[in-house]
Parts: sequence; structure tokens; C-alpha cells
Amino acid sequence: MSAVTSFPADARPLLEVRQLSQVYNLNRQKLFAPRPKLKVLDSIDFSVRPGEAVGLVGESGSGKTTLTRMLTGVERPGDGQVLYDGVDVWTGGEAHRKLFRRSVQVVLQNPRSSLDPRMRVGTSLLEPLRSLKIEGDHGTRVLEVLDQVGLDKNALERFPHEFSGGQLQRIAIARALMPGPKVLIADEPVSALDVSIQAQVLNLLKDLVRDLGLSLVFIAHDLSVVAYTTSKVYVMSSGKIVEVGKPLDLFRTPQAEATQALVGAVLSVEAGLAGNALA
Amino acid sequence: MNTTTAVAPRRRRRLELNASLVVGIALTIGFLVIAIVSFFWLPSNPNIPNIKNRMLPPGTVDHWLGTDGLGRDIIAQLMVGARTSILVGAGGATISLILGTIAGLVAAAYGKIADETISRGADIMLSIPGMVTALVLAATMGSGALTTIFALTAFFTPSFTRVIRSAAMSVLQEDFITSAKLYGRGKLFILARHVIPNIAGVMIVQFTLYFAAGILTEAGLSYLGVGVTRPSISWGMMLNEAQQTVGISSPLAMWPGLAIVIVVLGLNLLGDGLRDVLDPKLKRRS
Amino acid sequence: MTISAKPHAIEVNNLVVSNGDVTAVRGVSFTIPHGGRMGLVGESGSGKSMTALALMGLLPMGWNTHGSILHDGVDLVTQSDKALSSRRGRTLSMVFQDPLSSLNPVRRVGDQISSVIRRHTGADRKVAEAQTIELIKQMNLPRPEQLVRAYPHEISGGQRQRIMIAMALACYPQLIIADEPTTALDVTVQKQVLRLLNGAVRDRGSALLMITHDLPIIAAMCDTVAVMYAGRIVEIGPVQEVFRNPRHHYTRGLLDSQPTMDNIALDGSSRLVSIPGMVPPLHSLPTGCAFNPRCPAATDKCREIMPELGSDGVSAACWHPIRLAGEVAAQ
Repeated sequence: MSAVTSFPADARPLLEVRQLSQVYNLNRQKLFAPRPKLKVLDSIDFSVRPGEAVGLVGESGSGKTTLTRMLTGVERPGDGQVLYDGVDVWTGGEAHRKLFRRSVQVVLQNPRSSLDPRMRVGTSLLEPLRSLKIEGDHGTRVLEVLDQVGLDKNALERFPHEFSGGQLQRIAIARALMPGPKVLIADEPVSALDVSIQAQVLNLLKDLVRDLGLSLVFIAHDLSVVAYTTSKVYVMSSGKIVEVGKPLDLFRTPQAEATQALVGAVLSVEAGLAGNALA
Repeated sequence: MNTTTAVAPRRRRRLELNASLVVGIALTIGFLVIAIVSFFWLPSNPNIPNIKNRMLPPGTVDHWLGTDGLGRDIIAQLMVGARTSILVGAGGATISLILGTIAGLVAAAYGKIADETISRGADIMLSIPGMVTALVLAATMGSGALTTIFALTAFFTPSFTRVIRSAAMSVLQEDFITSAKLYGRGKLFILARHVIPNIAGVMIVQFTLYFAAGILTEAGLSYLGVGVTRPSISWGMMLNEAQQTVGISSPLAMWPGLAIVIVVLGLNLLGDGLRDVLDPKLKRRS
Repeated sequence: MTISAKPHAIEVNNLVVSNGDVTAVRGVSFTIPHGGRMGLVGESGSGKSMTALALMGLLPMGWNTHGSILHDGVDLVTQSDKALSSRRGRTLSMVFQDPLSSLNPVRRVGDQISSVIRRHTGADRKVAEAQTIELIKQMNLPRPEQLVRAYPHEISGGQRQRIMIAMALACYPQLIIADEPTTALDVTVQKQVLRLLNGAVRDRGSALLMITHDLPIIAAMCDTVAVMYAGRIVEIGPVQEVFRNPRHHYTRGLLDSQPTMDNIALDGSSRLVSIPGMVPPLHSLPTGCAFNPRCPAATDKCREIMPELGSDGVSAACWHPIRLAGEVAAQ
């Protein structure tokens, strides 16, 4: 058993959603017709404990993007609760909301888009601290975090266009680490990267979870990438959580139809060479 | 815990000069210098008639481009006219840039109602012909440089608003805006620190293009007699006055016409050249 | 449609693609026999997409091609734009990554396919429309008679990509180039589209050039593979050989960095083997072998002299290729 999964089994969830539902109103098909409703999230229960790495997989349209927006506090749920450390982030008061903002940080899919091209990397890294009004020695903190993601300090004076995709994703991870979060939410963090760089970033995320005791929520469409980084995986389909389990169990004995489809979609070099990849 | 990744050798960012940028800068600087010099030195007073020297041909000593029907030196008039072009063109472009940026940013960032109101308002303003606006303004406020600037502002602001709105909207869709919201930055901060720096290139390019358009419009209005009046001098006014002598003598209408063409061409080349250099999409490629 | 007597669907010799400032493809040679399937694998900046565009004569403005591209008895490099455009879709066709932006949004998909057929075969409208419906049926798309009347935005991404494939295959091309055809699709749709492409290419006897960064797709679809790095082919050979016993350290690294069920332990204890560093930018390539700064086996020789394919008796451009057990390095 590795450090990733070594939390007390009864530990209280750090980030949790309870019975979350969200309905979107679509555009009218006809004038005066009632607006059709789309249930994008249907009674979702989801939780991450301290130090735990969980995955969230599903096809596009399964609702995982909306759930991510709820977990990061971008969108307010129509029904149900988003709890950080046991307290509702929308009704728990300003101080708790600030704590939530600081403790839950996000890494997005496309690092070229997630860093302002006109802002020096050093300024971008300090932004979360300045915005959240976090006191302390910012200079030392920046160097510490750069070291954690494996970049050297001459990166600070540069602009994003001077870096490769893999380096930019490290910078984005560094920015997320700046306020000293407890939970890292990574939304497809490697799907925009080159194959040889994906492994570097996946290893980095894994190291961070282990060394800093972070909780990780890893959102992806590729089950094998999620399996590599997490110890528990939620499978979403049509706005519902259809299956939860350990990655290995999901692979060996997928129960839900959506899980079976995802497992079936995984292509591997071995299967290709054996000639049965497309069977 | 990690081995430090070496960063690629820093690629020096050089301002890549293209032909249109070089020519544009040269023409624009020449134009500005002539306007500045006109404050300190003029070959003769461009407003005092001198009947003796009427209609001198180009090449005459002391009047190298000749004189007009009242004996006033062409070079002196062109130099003073450059001032007017700058005052009116840059004035109109600057005010509409400021107003258009504010309106465009509000439309892009402050919700559907603000957007609809501002965008439809811009549509309505754009459907009124600019010349009519200018004529009405001239009739009510009296003609002059200030009126012309007002007319240009009414004319240009809606276009600026549209350009700024769409540029800002594409920046607002980027993930770094989402990130900024996630760590709690407000709208004003996001607009000031993230959006404006990213659309600055668009703003500069548009400014030069509207500067040129302003000079053209001002010339048109002065030509129609609703622009500036003496003792101010404008190239359009010179064209108007030259009209009376077309066919009689020296090609008086040619000089202000040429000045307009060169300056407008220079500014447009400058704008195009800057667009190539400043376009963030081109530059983001490493 | 008869297959031409020419020996290869395409033969590329020492292809160089540059724009005066940088060289994206630096001397690439390969051949694909009729009905053969080659995979071209590489990361962004490896030059794989530029190679494809050069083959199609679709390079962006300012880019030039040198070398030769022999296809259907002519050298495509010397052909006029007009001659090339009459080939595209007929003897040579391409499926792009993003089906939405490669279809005309204001024309019905059926019209788009049948106009390709009419243009290249001279068939009249009725015949072309009948062929279109037949093609759509072959693509396993539901209700072909209704689908031909749909606009691109009205159908799903997977369906759009099938329409693109139908269009590319409409005139039985000798070679079809597929550039990341499933990258923009949902994972669960990817396999269906690949299966379809696989069958359709086989039925027509066309050759396939599959361009992707995804090794499992190559393993599933191709019989040979060329691995590109920094504008050059660093290893080429039968897929079974190259993927089972890679000779180039870059190929080995790519294979090792795949997180698959085969190479990770699912209890969270394993680590992926990753290639350190990053792909060098084209304007500042290292001297010698372009991969040397990231290579575990690099020596001074690698930093000085660029290895050619077959330099050391194997089909990898490497001074120190990975040896099989029992093999001795040729001196």
C-alpha cells in the first residue's frame, strides 16, 4: 500500500458534494413553447479525503465539466451542497469561502490558454497570493514552489510564449500550489501535451500528492491515465455517477455500461501488435 | 524532489521590421515633424494675401510650390494644414478609442443586457451616415475643429466599440481568465490587468487606421465648407479654394491632395505593419 | 478502378520543407506500396504534419518543398497547383483532424460528397447522388437518405468524421492520408471510426498514411511505422519489429511513457518512465543527433555527427542503437 492511499478509512472528506443536481434551461424550440430542461447533474455524491487521489471519468456530455465547475466553486448548484471541510461553501460565510478559495486550486487542460501571454511568469505565480491577500515571504515561496515542480528561477522573468507546453503546464501547477492548497483539481491536465511530456507531468502530479499530502481530483476521458494517478475512480454518464471503484476493479470487471464502454475504448500497443485492437 | 528542468535558451524577441512598417513609420514621422516645425518656423504667413504674388508657379524662389489665388504660400499652408489634420484626426481617434474601449469592455464583460444595449446602440449609430451627422453638428454648433472632432467621435465610437468588444470577448474566453476568477479577482482587475494588455495591439492598430480615416473625413468636411475656417487651415479647405482655379493655372489642387494621400497611406501602412508585429496569435508561437 | 502498374502508391525521396527561416522537415524518405499502411508518429514540432501537407501540396504560404514525391508516375514537387488540385480527392486524399472545420458549414453533407464525385469522375447528378448514398451506407451511418440532407452542425463529431472519410474515399484514391483523424473525437467513438477507416481502406485497396502521436493507433492500423523527431525519421521498419524491439532510444522512450494497463501497477506504486527534457524548437536544434540532450546513451559522437538511418546496421538513425540479446555492435 503506497502513501497515496494511506489515510485513515474514517477520515472526514475534505471536499464533498452531496445530492448535487443542476438543470439547465435550453432555448425554446418554438415561440411560447416551454423552455426544454436538461438535467446535467442528477443527485451526485462525490468526496475526496485528505491525501486521497480520486479520478473522475466520463465521455463528453456526461456532466463531468459541470461537476468540475461545482467543485471549484465557479458555478452555484441548483440543488444540493458543496462542502469544504464539512462546511457549505456557498452559505458558510465569507471567511470560509476565502479558506475554500485558497485551499482548492485548479490546473486546467490547456497551459497555453491558462497563463496570460502578456504577464511575466513571476507575476502570474504571485497573482493567487496577491488576490487572496495571503501574507508572508512571497519571494521565498515562489522559489520553493518552482523547485517542487522542477523549474529554475530564470523562468520568472519570462513570458509564456518562451516555454514549451510541458513547461507551461509545470508553471500552471506551480501557480496552483502557490497558496498552499489542500486539494488540487486537475482537469484533463495532460491531454493537450505531447506523449513524451505527459509521463513527466503525470509523475509530477503523483509526486506532489505523495510529498505534500495533497488531495487530488483528476478529471479525464482516458481511463488508463486516471488509473495511473488515482486510487479511486468515479465514472459519470448522463449526469449520474454510475460506478465507483478502484481502477483495477473497473478495468477487470466493469459493471456499468458506461464503464464498459470506456474500458473497451482503451487502445494499447500490445493489443494492436496482437492484431485484436479493433476487434 | 525533482530534477530541475533546464529552460530552453532564451530567444531574443526582436521587433521584426517589415517593409510596410518601415515606410509607414518614416512617412508618419515626417508628417509629425512638419507639423511641429510649423509652430516655430514658416516660410511666410499663410493667411496674409499678397496680390503681387498671385498664382506663382511651382519652382519660384521663396515659394517653391507656388502660391494660391490670393498669393499665399502653398508650403506654409500645407505645414499649418498638417497641424489641423493631426489635431482633428488624432483628437477624434483618441476620444473614440477611449469611449469605444469603455463601451466595448462593458459590453463584453457585464452581462447580456449591457451587451445588447451597447451593441444595438452601436448598430443604430452606425446606420446614421457620418457626413449627415457632421453637417447637422456644423449647423447647430458652428463649423470648426472642435465640431469636426465631435462629428468624428460620433462616427468612430460605434466601430471602435464593436472591435474592442469582440477582441475582449475572445480574451475573456481564455482559461487564464477562469483562473483569475478562481482565485478571486474581480471584473475590474481582470479587465485592467488581463484584458487590456492583451487587446492593446488591436487598440494601437485601430487607432492608426482611424487616425487616417479621421484625416480623410476632416478633409472631406472642410472641402464641403463645414470643417475648419480661417485662420485655421486644412488640406480640405485648400482643395476647396483650389477648386476655383482649376483649369486656370498651376495644379493647386494637387498639393493638398498629394499631402492627404501620402499621410493617409503612411498611417495605413503603419497600422498594417503594426498589426503584423503585435498580433498575439502570431507572436505566441515560440 | 485498376491499380496502376507503378510499384508504389507513393515514394518520397529526401523531402525537405522549409520557409527560409526554419526547416520543418529535414530530408525524409519513405515508400508506401500499393495497399500498404504506414504510420508516421511524432510529437508536435516533429514535422509529421508538414510532411503530410507537402504530400498533398497544401503547405501554408511561404513554405517550400525540395526533394521528390513520386506518385502515380509523376513527381508531385514539380506539379502545378492546378495539376495538384485535380489529383486531390482523386488519386490522393486526406482526412483532417477536425471534421467540423473541414466541412463547409452551409452545404448539405450529401452535396459535398457528390460534388467531389462529380468533379473527379464526371458522373451526372443522379449517379453521383446514388453513389453518395451507397458510400454513406458503407460508412455504417444510420438513415443515409436523411443524412445526406443534413448540415454538418446537425450531426455528431463521429458522424462528421465518417462523412470526411467517405469523401476522401469516394474516388478510390491510391493513397489516403489521415492526420490525427480521431484526436478530436470522444474516446468511445475513436475505435468505431478507426475500425471503419480500416475496413474502408482495405476494401478499396488504397494505401494509408496514418499520422498520429498515438502509438496504439499505429499498432492497430499499420504494417510499417516511421518515427519522426525534429524533422527527421529516426527509426523506420515493420510495426511488429519497431514496437517490439525498438532500436532508437526515442522510440523506446515513447513506448515506455504510455500509461497502459500493461506497464503500470494499479496500486499507485509504479512510476512511468518518462523522456526527460523537451522537444527542441526548430530554430535552435542541437548539433549532431537532435535527440542527444534527452538521450540516456548519448556520447560525444552523438553531439557532433548526425547519424543517418542505417548508420549502424539497423533501421534507426542512432550511433548507439539498442541491441537485442546476443547482438554485437558492428564496428
